[in-house]
Amino acid sequence: MSAPASTDLVVHATRFCRLLREEGLLVTPGDTLDAARVLGLVDLADREDLRLALRGVLVHRPEDGPAFDRLFDEFWGGNPAPAGRLRRTRPPSGSQKERLPLSLEQWLRGGERDAEREEALVPGPSELESLGRQDFGSFGDEALREVTRVARRIARRLATRPSRRWKPARDGARPHLRRTLRLSVKTGGEVSELAFRQRKVRKTKLVVLADVSGSMDLYARLFLQFLFALQHSFARVETFVFATRLSRITEQLRSRAYGEALAELAAEVRDWNGGTRIGASLETFVREWPRLLDGRTVVIVLSDGWETGDPEVLGDALGAVHGRAARVVWLNPLLGSPGYEPLTRGMQAALPHVDVFAPAHDLASLGRLARHLAL
Amino acid sequence: MREEIRRIQQLMEGAGYVTDRSVATAVYLSTALGKPLLVEGHPGVGKTDIAKVLARVLDGDLIRLQCYEGLDATTALYEWNYPKQLLHIKLEERSDRPVGQREADIFSEAFLLKRPLLQAITHHGRPPVLLIDEVDRADEEFEAFLLEVLSDFQVTIPEVGTLRAESRPAVVLTSNRSRDLSDALRRRCLYLWIDYPSLDKELRIVRTRVPGIGERLAAELTTFMQSLRRQRLVKTPGVAESLDWAAALVALHATELDPALVQETMGCFLKDESDLRAVAARIEAGELAAMCSPAG
Repeated sequence: MSAPASTDLVVHATRFCRLLREEGLLVTPGDTLDAARVLGLVDLADREDLRLALRGVLVHRPEDGPAFDRLFDEFWGGNPAPAGRLRRTRPPSGSQKERLPLSLEQWLRGGERDAEREEALVPGPSELESLGRQDFGSFGDEALREVTRVARRIARRLATRPSRRWKPARDGARPHLRRTLRLSVKTGGEVSELAFRQRKVRKTKLVVLADVSGSMDLYARLFLQFLFALQHSFARVETFVFATRLSRITEQLRSRAYGEALAELAAEVRDWNGGTRIGASLETFVREWPRLLDGRTVVIVLSDGWETGDPEVLGDALGAVHGRAARVVWLNPLLGSPGYEPLTRGMQAALPHVDVFAPAHDLASLGRLARHLAL
Repeated sequence: MREEIRRIQQLMEGAGYVTDRSVATAVYLSTALGKPLLVEGHPGVGKTDIAKVLARVLDGDLIRLQCYEGLDATTALYEWNYPKQLLHIKLEERSDRPVGQREADIFSEAFLLKRPLLQAITHHGRPPVLLIDEVDRADEEFEAFLLEVLSDFQVTIPEVGTLRAESRPAVVLTSNRSRDLSDALRRRCLYLWIDYPSLDKELRIVRTRVPGIGERLAAELTTFMQSLRRQRLVKTPGVAESLDWAAALVALHATELDPALVQETMGCFLKDESDLRAVAARIEAGELAAMCSPAG
């Protein structure tokens, strides 16, 4: 092995790790130690070596790669030898805050005033909007608890479906022959102790793709609360949101409080309230996350079907999803309004590939969702 | 570049694995720090091959654990060979040896079925390379169990005692990202993301792995595959598919691509019916030449 890293280098490694942490990368003290060790193992005059080495130790998921590269350049600068002068520029956190999408802050405050401002942003027919406000305009604590309760109920149903397969159990109605024999070996082939088995729980998995574009804003707000609660009581949920592009928000929804989760989402998702490219987003999903889909996965799409892209792309992408998932559920909040017919081109292209087309405009309709989710 | 990294790259290339600095650096650090290497990337970019080549380079045995949903300790670590134990008990029924001794017999190593993880731990001689393939397919419970084994490479079997690895195996984990691995596992590993190769690298891979291929065919084929990867497909072909196709074309004594040949052999690299149709349509529209020329 090589000579130990000099103190100077350790200081630099520590500073760099702190910078990464400030920028939201997950860097533990253990990682910092590794980084310091790595500095002693590579050729420091070679910037590419240094970058690749630190990247191996400090980046644990591909999403963090670009951020790391940017910060690496920022920190180590064009200066090949890190023992030289440190060129630490301020991270652009201030400017990032300004770039936060407006609507999310409004969400967090939930102010009445903002609804007026939203009106100007929201495209689509105006009766849609007033309907949305009617349903969820006054979104109080009571409703929040109710959403959580509905989500828990659904989670419980999903988590208790018996499967065809068996697993060993502490006690039960059915003996586990193999284990019983195995136990009998201890007593010289005499069966003195019985082992039992029980049905495994069938693992339904959920993949949720929620439209958070302008026309969906009011519903998405409710639905995200619902997802947040669902994911807390039921682990096998993968959540994505899209408007013009797709973002995975499973991790963000895992964090503790709802407010925190939304704040994190705001930092992550840059396209809140943009236009809607459902097809392109679904396509990204099929391309980037194909292995999330299998015969035990229910895919839920929440969208009103106002597609600004090519409806054919939407049809193809949803067809690909449909072919691989156990079921595709399309929740359209507009279905809750009397006289609505799914005539938009996007909706028309999507419908052949949808197993269940259901409303999602109020709590009762979310409650009925459980029926469609259990395989 | 540091000498060791260059050497590893040379050794890997010598073993038939065309690689670049990021891979060589990751492999070097993994061996130097004694940490497992977690490799993620699209299907068919050579994740599993890293372990195979590493075994060849280190001159150690490759022990492979293929993960799947429902994989548990009995299939990954060890299991007692109970039919053999029962048989042994029956055979020994008449013997007058003391019970304690007979019991010790049936719980000896001869009756232990060693699964890959235990094999890696009890391996003698040069440290082996342990490949834990597609770890994302196993469930979270198994991941937790794996963490325990990987952290100290020792296993306690109640009837036998604690077994400790003589020499730490080099560990390579691969994942296709079908689900997110836990942060705990990620943090224990060095991380390497392998992307689709550049045209240049893919060309070198094809030349290295399919020795009989003509210069012109290799260039056309790789350019074609690169342009396919830019297209919207259900299953984007990886390098493995390029190699399959190249081998098939060599077997057909082809020296260049033509529309009929591509149509006939498309099954080598397109594994989805709608992809086949989409690409066939492009070729019928006379786009093959554009797809094979470096500018396209």
